[in-house]
Amino acid sequence: MNRSGYVRGLAIIAFALLFIGAVLSVDWPSPAGFDERNDTVSNEDVGRAMFGVSGASGYGLIMVFIGVLLLVALLGGIFLAKEEKEEGQ
Amino acid sequence: MIPIEYWLVLSSLLFAIGAYGVLSRKNAIVVLMSIEIMLNAANINLVAFSRYHTVLHPLEDKDPTGQVFALFSIAIAAAEVAVGLAILLTVYRRYQTIDVDKINILRW
Repeated sequence: MNRSGYVRGLAIIAFALLFIGAVLSVDWPSPAGFDERNDTVSNEDVGRAMFGVSGASGYGLIMVFIGVLLLVALLGGIFLAKEEKEEGQ
Repeated sequence: MIPIEYWLVLSSLLFAIGAYGVLSRKNAIVVLMSIEIMLNAANINLVAFSRYHTVLHPLEDKDPTGQVFALFSIAIAAAEVAVGLAILLTVYRRYQTIDVDKINILRW
């Protein structure tokens, strides 16, 4: 590894230590009265939050937009990756 | 229950590893993978804070919004990778390399 590689590595280690120091310096409140069996978020809860239980609650419309985004990304990827035809063919 | 500090430290380390990959590697596919590692670090933060909120307020309704946002983030990361790989394929056809130090013009 050359000298700039060491400098980058040291900078990243300093960056990580800064983050870790910031996280560990916070006094995170500890939970009280938490029941691991009953209070755990299940897949069903995530589904309810995503699609809502009634009316316009939830993120169903955003899911549709993300589906459109994925479709556009797929079409863009195909368009970019397709072979270009040589002149005269 | 695993304390939230552990998740945040893991997320910080993942983010730092991804940032090191982006800064130091020359292969564009490895750079793309490093960006994905950084995105996953953000996803871990979202899920960890969602869980922490549920743990801190056990009597309120469960609020898994952070986990829903993590799913959205994963979907957007998939779209980003699809476009990124297609661009890399085009660049390779044009320059016969995916070394990011050698791809230094934004036209072809």
